[in-house]
Amino acid sequence: MTALADTPTTAPARTARGVALDKLFEALCFGAATLLLAALGGLVVSLVIGGWPAFAKFGLTFFVSAEWDPVQEIYGAAGAVVGTLVSAGLALLFALPLALGVAIFLVELCPPMLRRPIGTAVELLAGIPSIVYGMWGLFAFAPWFAKHIQLPIMMSAKPGTIWETITSGVPNGAGILTASIVLAIMILPFISATMRELLLTIPAQVRESAYGLGSTTFEVIRKVSLPYVRTGAIGAVMLGLGRALGETMAVTFIIGNAHGFPTSIFASGSTIASTIANEFAEATGKLHTASLIALGLVLFVITFTVLALARLLIGRQAHA
Amino acid sequence: MNAQLEAMPETAILDLPPEVVKLAIKDLNFFYGSKQALFGVEVAFAANAVTALIGPSGCGKSTLLRTLNRIYSLYPGQKATGQVLLDGEDVLAPRVNVAALRARIGMVFQKPTPFPMSIFDNVAYGVRLYEKIGKADLEARVEDSLRRAALWEEVKDKLHQSGLSLSGGQQQRLCVARGIAVKPEVLLLDEPASALDPISTARLEETIAELKSDYTIVIVTHNMGQAARLSDHTGFMYLGKLVEFGETEQLFTNPVTDRARDYITGRFG
Repeated sequence: MTALADTPTTAPARTARGVALDKLFEALCFGAATLLLAALGGLVVSLVIGGWPAFAKFGLTFFVSAEWDPVQEIYGAAGAVVGTLVSAGLALLFALPLALGVAIFLVELCPPMLRRPIGTAVELLAGIPSIVYGMWGLFAFAPWFAKHIQLPIMMSAKPGTIWETITSGVPNGAGILTASIVLAIMILPFISATMRELLLTIPAQVRESAYGLGSTTFEVIRKVSLPYVRTGAIGAVMLGLGRALGETMAVTFIIGNAHGFPTSIFASGSTIASTIANEFAEATGKLHTASLIALGLVLFVITFTVLALARLLIGRQAHA
Repeated sequence: MNAQLEAMPETAILDLPPEVVKLAIKDLNFFYGSKQALFGVEVAFAANAVTALIGPSGCGKSTLLRTLNRIYSLYPGQKATGQVLLDGEDVLAPRVNVAALRARIGMVFQKPTPFPMSIFDNVAYGVRLYEKIGKADLEARVEDSLRRAALWEEVKDKLHQSGLSLSGGQQQRLCVARGIAVKPEVLLLDEPASALDPISTARLEETIAELKSDYTIVIVTHNMGQAARLSDHTGFMYLGKLVEFGETEQLFTNPVTDRARDYITGRFG
């Protein structure tokens, strides 16, 4: 202790080189962060500039019209926006209960021997490239779906009912519903992995307290565990939704790529991402390109909003 | 010195008269995986009395508590052999409905564990699981439980605020209220005051002393003064074995075993 106290308060003289390196290090880190923000800003600016002719020509109708006619050069984003929201929403609807089931099974019920293999399998699912899902969806899932699910349902629909309207379509398996199911399979591992992490953050004593009052596993999960991770879970769901909204290749393969508002769950449709992927390379004329870029900006705004909300909610959970 | 050592028994367990016994533990062994944590524990806890379990860290006192309501069976690697008889019924028998058992044997942990719901709902949680009672009865039960846990005066105007908004000491008393609201027969307390300030600790001790008339209470504590103040019987554990069990006054003033005497006089632990 005395030795320490006797040490002069001034630090030993640093070598000039060390100081210079430290300055360089700070500058590099600052530069990296600035570069990223600048890239983001540039992206937004170029989307706005690129899409401007479309916004200037169609004004607000661009957002509310579903007409997409490259021959007459009339473009409206609403069909693709609705297709995007519907397919992502349906995907979430299918994926959420399954993902919750997987996460709860892994955390609460799974025998320890199976915990690792199942957990790993779920994580691997997240790593499969989306084009592979797309091919599987188009060549394996869609035909099977058409034969065993779509056809029987269409056959059973009584003519003239609403049910007939919402199940009409070409029985080839390609359409909004098929795309949503494949999307659901794709976002499921994300949601369940995040949900699992969240459930693992619940202190053991809180769970034990709930069991200690005589709750069954279901009661503990429904009344204590899920409320405990509520905000974080909403964030996890939003992350999955963000992925579903922007997913391109798999959807482009199986959604059928028809413009306009989807009329039934089996009808072909399009999403923003699938429209851009399909048409950008062959876009004729400036206005077509501009409209596709404008679509890109719309998707950017939708996804950004969803992800920002997710971050906000997850952050709130972390501080709670 | 040697002669004196030999004269003292290795273990000394007081036999309670059968009519006062609420919980009887027979040849209890406990395993965390392959590691044995309890060795042939044999003891009985009296009804309407407080039994304290003391001993150095890792001696198995919390483990013993965790076998009594089978909370350990949430974890696949942990198992117990032997018998824990609650009013003569073996709690460890495989066919026992553990949820119903845990409603009879309540537990309060070291750290407060309020659920993410209102103060009222926290206390009503267990009651709603097992009883269908009207709103007025439920409100009366919640108030009574909070009064017994010495928390009512502090929360009566904010029953619908989150349980998480209370201070640590209040949260712990909330957990006690939640535990007694279901009217268990036995209340297990695992170092319930270890995270509390002295004032909250004093209030909790008063609560425990008041609850004694209705419940069988088993408390694990590191605080020897607390054990001496609160309990009727005390068990001293060491390395997974129950070394000495007897009347609290006798054990603290005139321990029979060497180990207990050394621990109580502060020679180790």
